[in-house]
Amino acid sequence: MRPILLQGHERALTQIKYNRDGDLIFSTAKDQHICGWYAHNGERLGTYHGHQGALWTVDVDPTSTLIASGAADNTVRLWNIKSGRCLNVWDFDTAVKRVEFNEDGSQLLAVTEKRMGFLGTIVVLDINLDPEGEQTSEKRMTITCEDAKATVAGWSYMSKYIIAGHEDGTVSQYDAKSGEQLDNTQVHEVDMLITDLQWSPDRTYFITASKDKTAKLITAKDLEVLKTYPADTPLNSASITPKKDFVILGGGQAAMDVTTTSTRQGKFEARFYHKIFEEEIGRVRGHFGPLNTVAVDPQGKGYASGGEDGYVRVHQFDKGYFDFTYEVERQARAALQQ
Amino acid sequence: MSKTENKDWADDEDLDDTVDTLPAQTTTTNKDGTKTIVSWRFNDEGKKVKTIRRIRFTVHKEVVNPRVAERKNWSKFGLSAKDGAGPAADTTSVGENIIFRPSTNWRKDAKEEKPEQGSMKDQLKNKKVKCRICNGEHFTARCPFKDTMAPVGEDNPDVAAGPADVDGPAAAGGLGTGKSSYVPPHMRNGGGAAAGDRMGGGKYERDDLATLRVTNVSEMAEEQELRDMFERFGRVTRVFLAKDRETGLAKGFAFISFQERSDASKACDKMDGYGFKHLILRVEFAKKAA
Repeated sequence: MRPILLQGHERALTQIKYNRDGDLIFSTAKDQHICGWYAHNGERLGTYHGHQGALWTVDVDPTSTLIASGAADNTVRLWNIKSGRCLNVWDFDTAVKRVEFNEDGSQLLAVTEKRMGFLGTIVVLDINLDPEGEQTSEKRMTITCEDAKATVAGWSYMSKYIIAGHEDGTVSQYDAKSGEQLDNTQVHEVDMLITDLQWSPDRTYFITASKDKTAKLITAKDLEVLKTYPADTPLNSASITPKKDFVILGGGQAAMDVTTTSTRQGKFEARFYHKIFEEEIGRVRGHFGPLNTVAVDPQGKGYASGGEDGYVRVHQFDKGYFDFTYEVERQARAALQQ
Repeated sequence: MSKTENKDWADDEDLDDTVDTLPAQTTTTNKDGTKTIVSWRFNDEGKKVKTIRRIRFTVHKEVVNPRVAERKNWSKFGLSAKDGAGPAADTTSVGENIIFRPSTNWRKDAKEEKPEQGSMKDQLKNKKVKCRICNGEHFTARCPFKDTMAPVGEDNPDVAAGPADVDGPAAAGGLGTGKSSYVPPHMRNGGGAAAGDRMGGGKYERDDLATLRVTNVSEMAEEQELRDMFERFGRVTRVFLAKDRETGLAKGFAFISFQERSDASKACDKMDGYGFKHLILRVEFAKKAA
């Protein structure tokens, strides 16, 4: 496969998101604009300007009309994808590290940083999906993380729970209506930051990536750890592939150690694991720095990775990827046909 | 220009009229369906550069969701507002091809080369340098006795070879020991039959013990390929591949000499019946020339 290299950012990538149809890619980096791209040929649709600080996060609504972004200038902004216009700005006390739309796009959650005497919070905002319509500035709900700040969060199936990953390696489950904490489990090693949380297509389970060099597959309903994927380097991102039962992990040495190691030792590769057998099945090289973010096309046709080196690499899977099956899988399929 | 019709052939005709104008880009369609695009430009030194590109256009049709099709017609904005249709060269480029084949033993595939090299290194580590003259741990060329003693296995010229093998002491011994005139190497130490004997027995005996004869070698084989194949089993000192003098093609047999006989026997076991370039190799120990 020939990756497409996107050079729209001057600084390290922070997050990449595909829209639901898999034809658009949105990328954020520590410079101050969001880039929108066409996934099939890497053409840049446009850039979204307005933020005054490093961008940490972006998310697309399910209808591909709006995107939301969170940045170090303590704001969440809502944008019209088509025109690049900023529709609304929500101000917070601290930087926003993660935003995510719920399944129907009616609500948005934002994770804020713990800093300057403010505790980390998870805030829920109401969204009007009509780009011409009014947006409310009120915050519907605020969950405060007393013990350890949340680093990542997301909506479960039917917007029933909010799941958050914390800096101390725990994952907690909140009721999405009341904000009450229902569960809190230590899934990763103590005091190992959870760096990413991405959902399966049906949002019944999710994958977390952590600095403790593992990624874990966890159910949304009772936070049960289903699978563990060990790696040999701190992980920054993990993603579940639709169509094939794989997961993609991205990581590498911390940015501050990069200059003292060669690219070969740096482990700047996207690692593919089999989702069920927990076995590593391949790696894809290419980046010159650690992978900060990995995103999979919801249609299962490709994936994109963004690195500390400022590049986005968009890969379209080829035949070998789709053909790969385990012997037991082939046998099971043959048994079904008989 | 008025002079154009009756211009001298020696005149410099393209000095003034072509420097600032470039021929227009031309596109011609070839018979095989490709297109040849000839374009002109000036390079940094102001010289005219002609670029010929042959391109095959393939139409790749994809049926997409109407929502996706509609989005493809959106106009660009922001930093890309001035970009034309299609990917802009400054933001989008294509990387080198990556071969990605998921496999359960990808790790083994990737590391196959390394242990091979490691074992070779280990073998060499245990190998000690041994002097052929005094059996000391240095190269023969560095031996302090190299001027005074002959290699171990080789007969001492003064004591053994001279008197024992040769009947007429005046004929051979005189040549080797008499300091009167130049003696060619093959005539030294007795010469004649003695020298021939020594060629077969003395120096190359060591070799023959660890030499393999490889037959049914492909015509296309190269010495280096054979060396690479056999070096996995141990130190290869000599590879001889018989080649036809005129065509340069291999004749179908080769000799491989190993440093150690144990390596040679291991190679003989492993490589006999090995498929190489569509032929099955036959490997056996070389027999002494009759």
